[in-house]
Amino acid sequence: MKAAKAFLGIYMAAFTGAAFLWPKPAQGFIGESSRIVFFHVPCAWTASLAFLVAAGYSLGYLVRRDPRWDDVAAAAVRLGLLFAVLALVTGSLFARIMWGSYWNWDPRESSFLLLIFLYAAYLFLRNAVEDPDRRATLSAAYALFAAVLMPFLVFVAPRITQSLHPQTVINPQGKILMDGPTRAVFFGGLVGFSAIFLWMLSLEARAARLERRRAASGS
Amino acid sequence: MSSLAYLAVVNLVIWGGLFFYLWRLDRRISGKESGR
Repeated sequence: MKAAKAFLGIYMAAFTGAAFLWPKPAQGFIGESSRIVFFHVPCAWTASLAFLVAAGYSLGYLVRRDPRWDDVAAAAVRLGLLFAVLALVTGSLFARIMWGSYWNWDPRESSFLLLIFLYAAYLFLRNAVEDPDRRATLSAAYALFAAVLMPFLVFVAPRITQSLHPQTVINPQGKILMDGPTRAVFFGGLVGFSAIFLWMLSLEARAARLERRRAASGS
Repeated sequence: MSSLAYLAVVNLVIWGGLFFYLWRLDRRISGKESGR
């Protein structure tokens, strides 16, 4: 596992260098701003992945009633929010360059902001409930409800109306409109960001397990 | 240094920092797991 983590570090370094130095900037964008796609989209993708993982572990908690599943679900939501905020920030930087302002109340911007509010409420809910079992049950139910809404907010709502947002990877033509180097770096970024998320999730899960062990031993 | 190369270096520093942080955290947790 150590070697895999070391490899991930080298991989992300290579990915970052490649993102800035290899593919040519896409046409129709100002300057080099199109390069943000290599960071912005993987952040959004990883956030969605994290929220799906949270839903899975929440369902697992409701079935097994094992608090470790709740720990992982909560960690996945926290990490999902981190990546969602990063997606929003990188998107805002792009918006500033392309359209002159950081925020435009664009349908995609707004629906992603709603998504962040939706999952921030999960954390507020957890803070509001003292009893651990009740907290875990309510959180799990909420995460499942949120996971039903999440695809609508990420994939459907922004496509219903006109948007400033550039055409997405999943587009009406059903084709990936990227040249070879762009495609390679883009999908490389998706893999790298996902791997970083999984590593961070495993760290959180292991830390939570240690906390439980410490609480159980009374030390 | 071109601005692109500068941005690449800045990103590498950020990633390097994050990676270093995660690596150290991983080592601390591994240490506690093995009872050290």
